[in-house]
Amino acid sequence: MGSPPATVFEFLFKYRPVVFDNGQFVLHAPWPVLLFIVIGLALVIPPLLSYVRLGGKLGTADKALLAVLRVSVLAVLVFCLLRPMLVVPTVVPQENYLGILLDDSRSMQVADAGQARSEFIREQFGPEGSELLTGLSERFKLRFFRFSESLQRISGSDELTFTGSQTRLGHALDEARSELSTLPLAGLIVFTDGADNSEDPLTESVLQLRSRGVPVHTVGIGREQFERDIEIARVEAPRVVLEGSAVAVDVMVTHTGFGGETVQLNVEDGGRIVSAQAVELQGEGEVTTVRAHFEVTETGPRLFRFRILPELEELVDENNERDVLIHVRDRREKILYFEGEPRFEVKFLRRAIAEDDNLHVVILQRTADNKFQRYDVEQADELAGGFPTTREELFQYRGIILGSVEASFFTHGQLEMIAEFVGQRGGGLLALGGRNALGQGGYAGTPISNILPVVLEPRPENDSSTFFSEVSVELTPTGRSHPVTQLSPTPEGSAERWAGLPALSTVNPVFEVKPGASTLLTGHGNGAEGVVVLAAQRFGRGRVVAFPVQDSWIWQMHADIPLDDMTHESFWRQLLRWLVSSVPDQVHAAVPKDRAGVGERLTITTEVVDSAYLKVNDAHATARVTTPSGLEQALDMEWTVERDGEYEASFVADENGLYEISVEVNRDGELLGNATSFVEVAEPVEEYFGAQMRSTLLRRVAEETGGRFYTPQTVGSLPEDVRYTESGSTVYEEKDLWDMPIVFFLLLGLVATEWGYRRARGLI
Amino acid sequence: MRYAAFVLFLVVLVAEPAEAQIYWEGGSDFTEFNVPYDGRFTFVRLSFTPLNDGWGGRRRRRSQYWWDHDWPYAETNLVKLLRELTDVRPFMEGSNILAADDPELLKYPVAYVSEPGHWTLAGEEAAGLRNYLLKGGFLIFDDFADSYYGGAYEWSIFERGMLQVLPDARPVRLDFSHPIFHSFFEIDSLELRHPYQPVYAEFWGIFEDNDPDKRLLVIANYNADIGDYWEWSDQGWYPIPLSNEAYKLGINYIVYAMTH
Repeated sequence: MGSPPATVFEFLFKYRPVVFDNGQFVLHAPWPVLLFIVIGLALVIPPLLSYVRLGGKLGTADKALLAVLRVSVLAVLVFCLLRPMLVVPTVVPQENYLGILLDDSRSMQVADAGQARSEFIREQFGPEGSELLTGLSERFKLRFFRFSESLQRISGSDELTFTGSQTRLGHALDEARSELSTLPLAGLIVFTDGADNSEDPLTESVLQLRSRGVPVHTVGIGREQFERDIEIARVEAPRVVLEGSAVAVDVMVTHTGFGGETVQLNVEDGGRIVSAQAVELQGEGEVTTVRAHFEVTETGPRLFRFRILPELEELVDENNERDVLIHVRDRREKILYFEGEPRFEVKFLRRAIAEDDNLHVVILQRTADNKFQRYDVEQADELAGGFPTTREELFQYRGIILGSVEASFFTHGQLEMIAEFVGQRGGGLLALGGRNALGQGGYAGTPISNILPVVLEPRPENDSSTFFSEVSVELTPTGRSHPVTQLSPTPEGSAERWAGLPALSTVNPVFEVKPGASTLLTGHGNGAEGVVVLAAQRFGRGRVVAFPVQDSWIWQMHADIPLDDMTHESFWRQLLRWLVSSVPDQVHAAVPKDRAGVGERLTITTEVVDSAYLKVNDAHATARVTTPSGLEQALDMEWTVERDGEYEASFVADENGLYEISVEVNRDGELLGNATSFVEVAEPVEEYFGAQMRSTLLRRVAEETGGRFYTPQTVGSLPEDVRYTESGSTVYEEKDLWDMPIVFFLLLGLVATEWGYRRARGLI
Repeated sequence: MRYAAFVLFLVVLVAEPAEAQIYWEGGSDFTEFNVPYDGRFTFVRLSFTPLNDGWGGRRRRRSQYWWDHDWPYAETNLVKLLRELTDVRPFMEGSNILAADDPELLKYPVAYVSEPGHWTLAGEEAAGLRNYLLKGGFLIFDDFADSYYGGAYEWSIFERGMLQVLPDARPVRLDFSHPIFHSFFEIDSLELRHPYQPVYAEFWGIFEDNDPDKRLLVIANYNADIGDYWEWSDQGWYPIPLSNEAYKLGINYIVYAMTH
């Protein structure tokens, strides 16, 4: 049974829209057209003349209207005499095949339309049969398939389990096309919710079908929007962090029907709640982004669960939680702090991180011209020659702190090397304020100014005046959710704490940040309203932070700061940890995702650079995959050729649990480095996310291949519609149009209008 | 003998006003006193209430502050050398005199204490200094000695005050291997004669938690008066090598305090 509009259409136009869509309009008059023209003129001219000659009380407008009505009536009649018709390609009954693809994934179990989606499929294709099945099998030979992760031929709906862990629509279409390529194929019909959660590009599959003229008819099962449901749409978390770090994770929550309501978000580490916060959900259709803060205290691969406690009446509970694997590393990140003058920042920074086993700040301090002191070096000769002059020497560090040292101290090569340290090596750079720092240090126009998140004003020549201002800091909206500036478990608490800290001082008037930068702290003071206190940005592979104040130690020493206050320590630890948290090693191993399903093939990608961080293509890379049950598999990794320094190998995950992937890279018998990555293999839960019926996607697939989109309400017309296709073995049917009811109603309407008008004007 | 005593009396009579002139009529390069904080290193001298209200103790019979000894030339000259020899850019036009319980003291993580053999600390002052040291401040004690009368009178006064500040403090004698003697100048001998007493300097330190591996909170130049060397270094009263040693110590202390 068609939908009401379709039924009305069919009543008026005799055929259903599909016939008009597929048919070609022709005039099939039994006599020559010239004869029709003559007859037409003979019919039209006399009445026109009679209207022109007509006198009496009729005005020109009356005459024109009556003439138009009369001519229209005659035109419709002539059109009918011309015998208009549609020529429609129609399949030859029982000579064509129809592929019927049934979605067998888990999301078909969602009961969003009074019953589970799968029930509709069982009803239509069950052993009892249905109108739909009968209609299709009368006209076509049917081939049934089920699809989820892959496509399989089935003989009946009893083989469906609706437990597939993934919906790969594109893959299913490709496979079905390939399997039926040798048969006269009239089209494919896909019964699905369209909740495709694969990474396969669908466009390619659609183009292939389109070029072969195979129409895909899609039947969307389920509701496009759930009445009441909350879903954690995405979690953005760092994959590697240092032990003891404060981690900030963005959790994106979508919902329907819960606008303005408050729900609870918990973060669990191995079942232990490490963070809990109330979340007020935004209005309908809006994404609520929440930043969850917690500290990672245990090392190794940790599976963190982000969970919104299920609410009553929620349709799907499974989409309320997501797991994220975070590799918590226990290592010392080495940072070089180069300070151009003795000043208290050095002392207090060293104190702030003294208890942090994961940070190692090596200090090179210029105490007089060409006189340097080194602190906390690892080897006797480390930095013995002053600031590094080679990439190998500089790139061994993961971060650089530049203190109050003028740009002219460095050679141009060293300045470029610092910029490359960030852009190419992926290191972190922190530029502190000071009388010889930033613009005051002559950095404007140097390679360093290009990478800084702030705009440096060049120091005017012969300008001996000194800018100085004490500044009270204020947390910006961006800073409220940034991991560096968290001084309290809640953003409000952090903002309050920052506002209560004593003023620092600055001699660097920096007021503007670059377009891609984030301002985390601003300052207010005499002549320094809105001065930038802390700004950060990504540059190339690394991070750059500007902190243009000269005495952050005030946050430790000031009379208003209690003796046991840890603000200064927390801030510096968080800042330095964040600065180096995503710095790559010489060997970096990764799998594309941290969670996979059993049977899935996973590709390990390793990037290899030498000590100067130049990409290496002639290394020997080996991956050792340790399964959850302890079995080891060694894989030789191949250089991908497409990208310098990139090596690949793949394996199939065949058991649930945590896989450890250790990569070791050697060149000429020398160890270049090693790296470890983890992947959690578990029952995929993707089917429960974004499980609403996606009509837009299904419509697009249908329209681009010449098929049509149906719902369970409109699917009754499908057997008839599918007939009209050029695909497969077809004949052409002629469909007369002259006897369409609409033509009759048109004539009737025109004549009635003319009669009514005449009557109104007193002509009859 | 009586004549000699008369001459000595006249010398003292003339010398005192001359000293007072230097003190109170200026003459140093400082043009500002108790300057506002501007981020630069500023020399800070700690003031305190002297023992017996400044009346003499056992050595002197006149009223004085004690904490002001060698002011302001000691600091004037030291900051000049600091600027000339190091990359520290100190405040040149003035210095600060602050009490132990003055909140301003916490903006200056290094402070100099002269004549701690005559100091007393009220309860708030002791608490202020304790807070200062534990937060990260560093104190240089100078100009106290026990030579004239034997015993350890001034030391005991110094120690009594320090125990008020840090009740568990146990001063440790430092030798030249300590990093403070190598933070800028390489000082390989600590043999420094007192400028006007027949004693040689001893350098004592107090460490955080009394652990020599931890932060040095205090250095005390006992039986020494390096401030006096600084003060008179441009007058030719003392041999240059001795003044040099005093400057080396002062500069090392300040550079050390900025990094440790």
